[in-house]
Amino acid sequence: MSTAARPVVKRGSTVMSRTFLVDTWWVAWREMKHFVGERVRVIMILVQPFIWLVLMGNLFQRMAMLPGFPARSYLDYMAPGVVTMVTLFGGIFGGMTIVWDRRLGYLNKLLAAPIARSAVVSGKMLAIGIQTSVQAAIIFGIAMFMGVTFKTGVLGAVMVIALAAILSTVFAGISLSFGAVITSHEALMAVMNFFTMPLMFTSNAMMPLSFMPGWLQTLAKINPLSYAINPMRSLFLTGWRPGELIQGVIILSLVSLALGVLATRLFKRSLA
Amino acid sequence: MRAMNAAEIRAALAEPIISVEDLVKVYRGGVRAVDGVSFEVKRGEIFGFLGPNGAGKTTTIMMLITLLRPTAGRGRVCGRDITVEPDEVRARIGYVSQDIAVDDTLTGRENLFLQGHLYHLTKDLIAERCREVLEMVDLTDRAGSRVSTYSGGMRKRLDIAGGLIHRPELLFLDEPTLGLDIQTRRRIWDYIRLLRDRENVTIFMTTHYMEEADQLCDRVAIIDHGKVAAIGSPSELKAGIGGDLLFVEVEERPVGPAPSPDVSTEGAEFSSFLAGIEGVSRVTVQDGRWVLVVSSGELAAPRVLSAVAGRGHTVRSLAMKKPTLDDVFLHYTGRALREDEGSSDFLRRRIGLRRARA
Repeated sequence: MSTAARPVVKRGSTVMSRTFLVDTWWVAWREMKHFVGERVRVIMILVQPFIWLVLMGNLFQRMAMLPGFPARSYLDYMAPGVVTMVTLFGGIFGGMTIVWDRRLGYLNKLLAAPIARSAVVSGKMLAIGIQTSVQAAIIFGIAMFMGVTFKTGVLGAVMVIALAAILSTVFAGISLSFGAVITSHEALMAVMNFFTMPLMFTSNAMMPLSFMPGWLQTLAKINPLSYAINPMRSLFLTGWRPGELIQGVIILSLVSLALGVLATRLFKRSLA
Repeated sequence: MRAMNAAEIRAALAEPIISVEDLVKVYRGGVRAVDGVSFEVKRGEIFGFLGPNGAGKTTTIMMLITLLRPTAGRGRVCGRDITVEPDEVRARIGYVSQDIAVDDTLTGRENLFLQGHLYHLTKDLIAERCREVLEMVDLTDRAGSRVSTYSGGMRKRLDIAGGLIHRPELLFLDEPTLGLDIQTRRRIWDYIRLLRDRENVTIFMTTHYMEEADQLCDRVAIIDHGKVAAIGSPSELKAGIGGDLLFVEVEERPVGPAPSPDVSTEGAEFSSFLAGIEGVSRVTVQDGRWVLVVSSGELAAPRVLSAVAGRGHTVRSLAMKKPTLDDVFLHYTGRALREDEGSSDFLRRRIGLRRARA
């Protein structure tokens, strides 16, 4: 048995941290293959936001006439809301993939490989971030096509997409944390559904804060969605507000990181 | 890493590739899936864990591949402790689960490509190894198709190919032929032999098919209720029974004028009568038949016939058989290997284990 026949495998715990990013990428690569591989899903991603914009934009059209409404038309107000809504739905079901992988036995295959456990979590979060960026870009395009006001140009559009991507990893983190401990996808689905609507309606995605009762305003202020919607809405309707934007990016990134760490810990614990 | 000198290499190669001492796994909820298992696997052998579903085979594998932490006991795999250096262990072994864990949405080649990257191989090496393993499992022609178009046997072969992509020293195969038809099963057996003979890979496999263990394994550990009941080569284990098996069925009502009691009602007495026949070393009952262990079936059969007739009973049937691993299992555990299948107690235990593992 010659040593040359053995693989060139980089080993050792110091290498673990160096390969973390590489491992993350390959876990994400697989998720992206799934994303692109599902033609029906890709079509739905295109159709869904279009329907939301048209349907809800028209449904609530008259609301913009109310005194104190912060936008020219409801559609203008609503466009960043739809971006975050799609982000919410895309991210919150990210934990489902871990439940499927567990059920199909692929999770064990990943874990039996010499990759960092944390890379399984970070890879899935990265994939959600990339997918959401694509979706956000599409919605943005549709919104522009429908004549929605946008004040900050190309760089502003990049910021909107970046905010959506970071926000989606926050929801993916919540979802993966639950996915680490809940082994049935029915149960996880129920838990995640429990999250989506309250998160949506305790934010100012659909309705301005000033239209809400006081207690709801308080909830909206701690809702992570608000930290994306507010800077996004400024980018759409008013123009650059660097303070708000930087605050949003930093807070969302920290929350995302914390949830990633939490998910990894729960995930590791579920293995013992 | 410091280069080893010749003596150290010899010592490393002489060391068993797996050594396990008193390994125990108790799941949350108190299921004692593995209950003090000890064994060694030598380099280059095909070692089989034979036992019914729920015996603790998969749990043992999961501990050896470092996906489950043992509750107690020690295990060394490829010279590394499974609890101290799990990453080192994982880099050296391959694992193919019983679930056929290939990704449906990827092509066969993409599956292997991804697995190569997960084992940190270089791009060139992955391309080269992909070609080799695809050829080995006869999937070169279909490598570009999505796995969702593959048959069950093709998926299994692809899964095994994935386990080989990084050329592990040791390959764990959990129920490699579970649910496959007999032709595919034989093909998989051929691949496993090929691996050992050509690639010098040590194989640790589990199975609940006795003919699989018999045909394929150099050595077999019989495992039941989380404990190792016996270890040895299939022929050693079969010889351990002490001879051939004679299955005797006797008419319940004795014939002739002498009124002797029913066989069924004088079970113990009839049993010791059978045991007293020359050459019979052991007597048990299975499915209403007397099972005699005899040193030589050819010599004992006529003796048994005449002795039973002499006692006034009629032999309804008599069958002779060389022992199989099924019989070995029965011998050591007191139950047939197949008995468990379908019984509700077994199913409950199995489902309990699956839940605990998930």
